[in-house]
Amino acid sequence: MELKEKRLIKKVKKGNHQAFAELVDKYKNGVYILCLRMVGNRQEAEDLSQETFIRAYHHIDQFDINRKFSTWIFRIATNLSIDWLRKKKPDVSLDAEVPGTDGLALKALLASEEALPEELVIQGEMERFIQQEIELLPEKYRTAVVLKYIQDLSLKEISEIMGIPVGTVKTRIHRGREMLRKNMDSIRGEKT
Amino acid sequence: MTCSNKKYMSLMNKVLDDEATNVERRELFEHLALCDRCRRHFKELKQSTELLNHLSHPQLPNHFTKNVLERLPAEKRHAAREWMSRHPLLAATAICILPVSVAMFAARRQMLFQEKNNNDQLILLKMPGNRP
Repeated sequence: MELKEKRLIKKVKKGNHQAFAELVDKYKNGVYILCLRMVGNRQEAEDLSQETFIRAYHHIDQFDINRKFSTWIFRIATNLSIDWLRKKKPDVSLDAEVPGTDGLALKALLASEEALPEELVIQGEMERFIQQEIELLPEKYRTAVVLKYIQDLSLKEISEIMGIPVGTVKTRIHRGREMLRKNMDSIRGEKT
Repeated sequence: MTCSNKKYMSLMNKVLDDEATNVERRELFEHLALCDRCRRHFKELKQSTELLNHLSHPQLPNHFTKNVLERLPAEKRHAAREWMSRHPLLAATAICILPVSVAMFAARRQMLFQEKNNNDQLILLKMPGNRP
């Protein structure tokens, strides 16, 4: 871990708010995106992000200064998001129905041989659709896929965040990838 | 479904994970050139995660950090230490001035005391009947 961050964390351990504010500023958007893609709701994601940092502050004594702070904070965020999903589960599965029109733009996109054109993907409809695809994944695959493809983390970091061996992370990413692919078959309208 | 050969599925995963050797990559792509099913499967797998890369990255509102800080337990305040870290020169001056002024104060008292003593002795000397 970089020296400046170590120094900040030492200050936080002594109860310094200003040092903690610097850490929050550095990691808040990463934590927010992680929560957002896990739970799919901006307001909830913001609340979970806040909860993540408050927990981190209260448990900073348990943080080993020789490890990566990002791994630790992402671990808290992941666990809180999973807790939220478990409590929320009945509602989520009711919402999981994909409205028919949402798939249209994607269908055209998937049919084309070219690389995905950005202007199409940026659209809110598309975004909502992709988010729904993520939410169709069971939480253990969803976590691995989000950490890998949205947070861009290494397998080793993911294994530390999820508390599972690297080999298991790989398997979950493979299964998650395969599920995403299968779910998108319904959009492609192909019977395989 | 895909090609019945499991070997190519695991090769696809290796390539997508960026863990395939050049030999393995060549082996997979040679097979994909011949097998429509596997080619489509591989393309679909690639697309499914490429889509995720295109999600937006919204930012938190500016007041987020402030909100977090407001929910923390009150800071253990070290008023003196904070003041010193903000005004190191003044602090250093103050620290130097304190013992010096104490010393000066003590020295002055000592002088006054001695003066008084001398006066007392003089008075004693001047008093009648006290002459040696």
